[in-house]
Amino acid sequence: MIVAVARRIALSLLTLVLLAIFVFVATEIMPGDALDVTLSADELAMIPPERLAQMKRELGLDRPAAERLVAFLAGTVQLDFGLTIISRTPAADIIAYPLRNSVLLAGAVLAAAIPLALALGVAAAYRYRRALDNAVSAGAIIGYSVPEFVIATVLVILFAVLWPLFPATITAATRDPAHVLLAAAPLPVATVLIGSIAYLARILRVGMIEALASDFVERLRLTGVPEWRVLLLHALPAGVIPSLTAMALYAASLVSGIVVVELVFAYPGLGQELVRAVTRREVHVIQAIALSSAVVVVGLNLVADLAILLLDPRTRR
Amino acid sequence: MRGFARSILRRRLAVLGLALVAAHLAIALAAPLIVPHDPFKLLDAPLEPPGAAYLLGTDELGRDFFSRLIMGGRVAIAAALAAGFLAAFGGGLVGLAAAYYRGLFDDVVSRLVEMKLAIPAILFVSLFVTGFGQTLPVLVFVMAVIKMMGVIRTARAQGLVLMEQGYVKAAILRGERGPVVILREMLPNVADLLSVEFALRSSSAMLLVSALSFLGLGLSPPTPDWGLMIHDGLQSIRSEPWLILAPALCISTLVVGMNFAIEGVADAAGLEAARGTAGH
Repeated sequence: MIVAVARRIALSLLTLVLLAIFVFVATEIMPGDALDVTLSADELAMIPPERLAQMKRELGLDRPAAERLVAFLAGTVQLDFGLTIISRTPAADIIAYPLRNSVLLAGAVLAAAIPLALALGVAAAYRYRRALDNAVSAGAIIGYSVPEFVIATVLVILFAVLWPLFPATITAATRDPAHVLLAAAPLPVATVLIGSIAYLARILRVGMIEALASDFVERLRLTGVPEWRVLLLHALPAGVIPSLTAMALYAASLVSGIVVVELVFAYPGLGQELVRAVTRREVHVIQAIALSSAVVVVGLNLVADLAILLLDPRTRR
Repeated sequence: MRGFARSILRRRLAVLGLALVAAHLAIALAAPLIVPHDPFKLLDAPLEPPGAAYLLGTDELGRDFFSRLIMGGRVAIAAALAAGFLAAFGGGLVGLAAAYYRGLFDDVVSRLVEMKLAIPAILFVSLFVTGFGQTLPVLVFVMAVIKMMGVIRTARAQGLVLMEQGYVKAAILRGERGPVVILREMLPNVADLLSVEFALRSSSAMLLVSALSFLGLGLSPPTPDWGLMIHDGLQSIRSEPWLILAPALCISTLVVGMNFAIEGVADAAGLEAARGTAGH
């Protein structure tokens, strides 16, 4: 048991280290270096070579790639993602509050999505291949097939333009307290919620169908255990626990969905910051965003794996 | 085969999905022939209302919106299909090779897959677009890499099952070389699986490319594209909401149609298709 847990934690850490190396190689070594990426070819051509060499020396870019990689990894461990090239502000400071705001949004979505998806998934599995199941399954396909930015803009047209219940864009500021941000964000939460429920309900439905079709459920029913006990006390854990891995994989999609929605509603989170950083070509901010969301995603997957180890005796070998 | 077709036709959603996909493909292919106006030309004042001259009015630059709508799926659909194909075929080969060779190669591949699954797709693209520029080949390549990871997982799992089969063992005992075993013995046996993967990955690549275009990280103007059109339409969301609703309807019917069709066909074929891997 302890070996299995330690192995999972070590693998997660290894994944994060490899990711950090990958992020650095993809953004700073393959295309040149941070300065080449930040400046366009025209701008580079206009700077005299001596001045360029001096700038690279000041930014530490004249060192060999391996040395820069080690410095990058050492900085990352200490949550120091370097200074932005142009404005010389620490990238970590730039993303700190947006990161909190995005986590807040994701938390609100999951808090509502998980119980609703659970109810829909279990109900659909219980009525497998009947009207309710068909409706939930078709609804789920529609729910994750319609892009988030379409859901978002349609919600704006419905509930901010035609029937002005909510503001079309968020007025809350980056450093507002959590409750102010959440109170301003019903439409963003609703947008991501639709896709989340669809995705999670689908996974849970499959898990529950397998659990309900298994021999032990049949045996419990034959011995006269009440149906609600069979469903809630026996089939539910057996159906949900193996689904946790697939549910945790959804975390990465959730981040992508949140990025899109933040942009539509001008919600002050990582998505806004990301698009700003890409258009200004602020390499260090992009790296910081990629790594911090990777930590969240890898962390959630680790939690799911550990939960399965803890709850499912069959995996403890 | 006939029984299979009948089994698909019994599923109403599958038929609806196939019809939607067929209609979208037909329009996309015939688009240059059926557009009433040049979709790139500035024809009139911006934001003209819908009417006889321009069926859906003009866009914010004064181009015929209906013509741009008809053309708006072509590039994104082609990019999504190309990425889906590369992902299914490349992912299939890598996954089977990992199952065949095991050892270090398998370890490295599995770690890379896990690593990629931990970076949200939009961030992954941002990294590459920042480094390599925002061009169509870069976009297709990056989407193929992203969508490939799930395929590698599926193909590797299936490959491990195949390695236990008599005909694969026989081929290895005959002294066939690795690539021959993989291509001739294993690949044909995952063909149906990879076809489903191709369709699934294409539909999620379609979602990805339009979201990227919407964010300004995907296709670039003046390409007529639904994601870009919805983004541009946000400026006049109060006065001309149809500039958003029309492309929104197009992209939604296409992806919903694709996923209905995939689900129905895979179900009819007895394949456990989508289970949680579909979507984003």
